Amino acid sequence: MRRTIPLVLTFMVGMYPIFAFFVPHASISGVNQWLDRALMIVAAFALPLGVVNLVGMNLSKIKQKRAGWPYAIVLLAGLVVMTYFGVIGVITRQHAGFHPTFQMLFDNMVSPLQATMFSLLAFYVASAAYRAFRARNVEATILLVAAIIVMLGRIPFGDMLTGGRMTPLSEWIMNRPNAAAQRGIIIGAALGAASMSIRVILGIERTYLGKSRD
Amino acid sequence: MQPLGLSIGVWVNALLTLCILSFLYKDNPFFRFAESLFAGMSLGYYIGIVTVQTLQPNLIQPLGETFFGNHNYLLLIPMALGIMLYFRYIPRISWLSRIALAVYIGYYVGVLMMQKIHGQVIPQTRDTIMPVTTGGIDALWNLVVIIGVFSVLVYFYFSVEHKGVVGKVSRVGIWFLMISFGASFGYTIMARISLLMGRFSFLVNNWIRPMFGI
Amino acid sequence: MNLKKLLYIDRRIIYLVVAIGALIPIIRPIGLPVEPTDPVIGLFDKLESLSPGDAVIISYDYGPSSEPELNPMSSAILRHCFQREIKVLIMAVFPLGGVNMAIREVERIASEFEDLEYGVDYVNLGYKDGGQAAMKALAVSIRDVFPADVDGNDTSTMPILMEVRNYDDVEVVISLATGIIGEWWADLVNAQFGVPVAVGCTAVSAPKYYAFLRSGQMIAVLGGLKGASEYEELLKRNFDWAREVYSDPAEMKLAATTGMDVQAIVHVIIIVFIIFGNIMYFATGKEKGR
Repeated sequence: MRRTIPLVLTFMVGMYPIFAFFVPHASISGVNQWLDRALMIVAAFALPLGVVNLVGMNLSKIKQKRAGWPYAIVLLAGLVVMTYFGVIGVITRQHAGFHPTFQMLFDNMVSPLQATMFSLLAFYVASAAYRAFRARNVEATILLVAAIIVMLGRIPFGDMLTGGRMTPLSEWIMNRPNAAAQRGIIIGAALGAASMSIRVILGIERTYLGKSRD
Repeated sequence: MQPLGLSIGVWVNALLTLCILSFLYKDNPFFRFAESLFAGMSLGYYIGIVTVQTLQPNLIQPLGETFFGNHNYLLLIPMALGIMLYFRYIPRISWLSRIALAVYIGYYVGVLMMQKIHGQVIPQTRDTIMPVTTGGIDALWNLVVIIGVFSVLVYFYFSVEHKGVVGKVSRVGIWFLMISFGASFGYTIMARISLLMGRFSFLVNNWIRPMFGI
Repeated sequence: MNLKKLLYIDRRIIYLVVAIGALIPIIRPIGLPVEPTDPVIGLFDKLESLSPGDAVIISYDYGPSSEPELNPMSSAILRHCFQREIKVLIMAVFPLGGVNMAIREVERIASEFEDLEYGVDYVNLGYKDGGQAAMKALAVSIRDVFPADVDGNDTSTMPILMEVRNYDDVEVVISLATGIIGEWWADLVNAQFGVPVAVGCTAVSAPKYYAFLRSGQMIAVLGGLKGASEYEELLKRNFDWAREVYSDPAEMKLAATTGMDVQAIVHVIIIVFIIFGNIMYFATGKEKGR
């Protein structure tokens, strides 16, 4: 029972958007539209779902004084401060939008932290280019040549060196062989995702419900 | 007194940026501090935006203002489902979270199914059916795209062994994929450098230059 | 000198070379030329074809991790729209930072236009959870999805939302996107509701989006900083106001065209790394496993 109800629900809710797509009658699309708006709210609850786990893990880390426990305090402090300024306006009804401190914390802390974290990758790709990008065989050579042409096509030096030929060549690669390969990947992956969707809707694929035997 | 002329925000922003960049030399406590802060604040940020931007205007406000008007009471259903997602952390009633999960997964799987088939497979396939007998260079380039898509799809078809003709076609598919991966590498480099540039530009133009008045 | 030593050079030296290469053009901009390409011209032409009063949606589907690429794109597109008196509905479906990017950008650019009236000429609707659910629901009623704007103001009394009710009243959706969201606008919103979609994306996504561009599911693709710089160039070539805006030193620091100097230098460094690495590889006899 504890598994059957969820499976039936998955089937019904999963089929509905598909059914509504093919049968655009007002009575059917009305429910579908309600479903869209309802799921926005369910999704809002789902987004911070991992917080409970993370708080539990970090609290136990601090309690047991496991390696790196002071960082767990930093993590929880960041979470508490950001959450406080995030929800305080709604609770006290003083701010309809974001609390000014929330935006300030975002601008000066969350934003640079995220941006810098990702900017480290610039150094890693450069290092990888030097150490691992080798013309070992035909395939690797094709990859290397395509990469260099596209890179030269993106900067003005490419055109300067070749009398304006590099940008059109690079655009040709992007528009023809690249687009063809990407299209092959898109179609292949989309067919895979669609068949997985059917498996979930029909209850063949059930791993998302967890392992319990109930 | 230039340094004090800068806001605390700029200083915090710059110092956190340097904490993350310090990882390039080697792992160190400053980086670990910034990393933990980032993880905590990001989750707190999620809670903040979800509350202010979705739950407040789309759930709390309509329920509080006109519970029965506009069928707002129906919002209790997605609200209940959203809360039920968190039951997974209470062992005795964790099975109830599956009901909410079933609706959540079911809906998105149904939508995804249509996205993939109607929004990707059909239009991408339709656009691959192009004239190749019209003569001229365009017909040749169309042929390149058709061969590319077909050979990449053959490469991804693992139900037959890649030997003989299939093997040869899939080899061509690999070449197309390599061109595309090369192009992707070129573009990825551009993306990563942009991020690095963003941080360096901040450090130079918003922090160092104003600090020394240059 | 031992060639092998060069092959296994400390990675931190490579990092240092990249860092210096990136810093020089920031301290002293070079001003290298930029040539617009067709995928970018597609959006420029689309906005040029619209009449004053037509409406567009700009969705901020990126966070700080793509800010340097997509902020200049957003600035250029917003300026173009506001100059042409196109009504702009701003929104976000990317959870980690999209709405805050929108707040910063819209406040900054809107302040350049004195006659612009909030709620009439443009509105910042804020962020909404649900991704595809929200995108689908917009087809029925924008006001139902966004009963309040980003600051919690009631949208039902805003003139802009009385005129623009759903996708039927929108001429084009412009998604400034990181990750998969740009694709959703094409394979869901364009496919099911027929709204033209243009995507300004982080360069990482651009190769994939060329497939959508070819199939007409996207009318334009602005790939990363280069795409942004091409859009700036199109504005500068066509309008006096753009030449004036982008010659302001404060604006130049933020402009994609300036950023392309950094790109050019670091690209050359990386190409040299690749070529040099390969020369070393062959000179040392193609060592196995390296």
